[in-house]
Amino acid sequence: MHTSNPDPICQETVAIEEHVLLARDTYRLRLPCPSIAAKILPGQFLMLRLPGTNDPLLGRPLALYDTYRAASGQPQGVDIVYQAIGRMTRRLAGIKVGDRLEVWGPLGNGFPPTETGHLIMVAGGIGQTPFLALARHYLGLGEYGQPPLVVPRAQRVTLCYGLRTAAFMAGVDDFRRLGVDVSISTDDGSAGHRGTVIELVPPLVDASSCACRIVTCGPEKMLHATSDMAARMGLSCQVSLERPMACGIGICFSCVKKIRDPQGEWDYRRICVEGPIFNAADVEF
Amino acid sequence: MSSPKANSIVNLVDVDLAVNLGRLRLACPVLVASGTFGYAREMAGLVDLGRLGGILPKTITQNPRPGNPPPRTYETSSGMLNSIGLDNDGIESFITHSLTYLAGLGTKIIVSIAGKSQQEFVDMAARLDGLPGVDALELNISCPNVSGGVDFGTDPAMCEAVVAGVCKACSVPVITKLTPNVTDVARIARAAEAGGCDAISLINTCLGMAINWRRQRSLLGRMMGGLSGPAIKPIALRAVFQAAQSVRIPIVGIGGIATIDDVMDFLVVGATAVQIGTANFYNPTASIQLLDALPAALRELGAASVSQVVGTLIVE
Repeated sequence: MHTSNPDPICQETVAIEEHVLLARDTYRLRLPCPSIAAKILPGQFLMLRLPGTNDPLLGRPLALYDTYRAASGQPQGVDIVYQAIGRMTRRLAGIKVGDRLEVWGPLGNGFPPTETGHLIMVAGGIGQTPFLALARHYLGLGEYGQPPLVVPRAQRVTLCYGLRTAAFMAGVDDFRRLGVDVSISTDDGSAGHRGTVIELVPPLVDASSCACRIVTCGPEKMLHATSDMAARMGLSCQVSLERPMACGIGICFSCVKKIRDPQGEWDYRRICVEGPIFNAADVEF
Repeated sequence: MSSPKANSIVNLVDVDLAVNLGRLRLACPVLVASGTFGYAREMAGLVDLGRLGGILPKTITQNPRPGNPPPRTYETSSGMLNSIGLDNDGIESFITHSLTYLAGLGTKIIVSIAGKSQQEFVDMAARLDGLPGVDALELNISCPNVSGGVDFGTDPAMCEAVVAGVCKACSVPVITKLTPNVTDVARIARAAEAGGCDAISLINTCLGMAINWRRQRSLLGRMMGGLSGPAIKPIALRAVFQAAQSVRIPIVGIGGIATIDDVMDFLVVGATAVQIGTANFYNPTASIQLLDALPAALRELGAASVSQVVGTLIVE
């Protein structure tokens, strides 16, 4: 339950290098933090905090979108994509290139290396953010971790991306550039399939010639439905969970979720240090 | 001849940071508060744990407790509410999985315990007494998120009885942690002193609420929670001052400490040591930063030791 030799976590104050509007209320932040970038794995996250204020007081957990590298190949920093919806992220939307942010990470556990034929990434809302680096990793187009974590190559990677409306669609080109197939669904039919993102998955699985594996991130109801669907279809499924966190490092015991052990008994587990990636079958939704 | 800068470095090295909490001697007065530092392992990648004056692991109970349903925390202006509910795996799991690790950190380990009854407090104290890694006990008689425990913190007679019972059952120093959610904190402080503890620590969190009026529901899994963070510092400072005026035993100040000025405020009103709590959440290296800043702040008051500033508030 307790890890014996925790990896060093870097805490630093960095000056924002880029801050770009990607879609409605949705921004990409570029943070120069080479020591974090060198170690971070797809699925891990960072805590970001506005310096010099006690309101908001706490940091916010945000998933790694991707790392960026110098021409030499050296990791330079990380990109974070967020939606300005809460107290802290609305403030964050107003900060400028050159402004400073407190950051600590890498935090949590990355996606475990898993034999994958067809990787189907099911995202809802802003839940696409942990998947760009994951796709790059499984397509063999980027290295992550120190030493680099080796993952088996996937034959195919698809992003199923569900949104309320097309205006929130963020980063789709980033995925397509890697060679990821992107399927969109919207509640209002303003882009792609009109309906839920879950409905995009079964036809993909049926048409797939290799073993499918599902990873999913987004609103909890969607995770639950994806998890149920994966179970019905007999597919391996991992969820990336999200909860408000005070610390991101395992000391506050806020971000708990009921997780089942092999005996089927549940206990509250800290998403930050024991997740955020869990086997869908173990999560008590 | 040395430059003024070199001189000041020599001076800072000469500042004596050691303090005594009754029989418990600490290398420095900066501790980390129970429930805000996990079981210390979580912080090993960030904090040089051996430099801390002491570590208070998350409160343990006799039996495992799953804790309260989420949401367990809610951010407020300059603070946060929590209703964690003493989520822990119980005393035996703590002894098996955490104590050996804690014993090897090179700092004082003050084990925080909470019982539902006086007998549970006494049994836990007896079980921990003498185990390597148990340098002292802190009695959490002040957690607002569980029923039972807080009665010991609000009823002076029950407070004195439980402290006396624990002190009789163990040989290690005992610190009693008090709640601010009482009419007269000095009275409870005197009761704890009469029970025979080495020191008192205060404050635990202030009972509070947050709701969503549109949904007409609490924003916490349980209706109420404990408020912590910079928002409660004035309450904590007042409580420490009142306690310091009322007892002879040393006091450990807790409540919203995040800057070196906060640390100094608490020392000057009468705390012999301080615990850093919520600041660990939003600045994981806060404790070490404050420790680094302490010698220069003490020097500003012309002090060569922590004890020279403790309780030096001028009351006119």
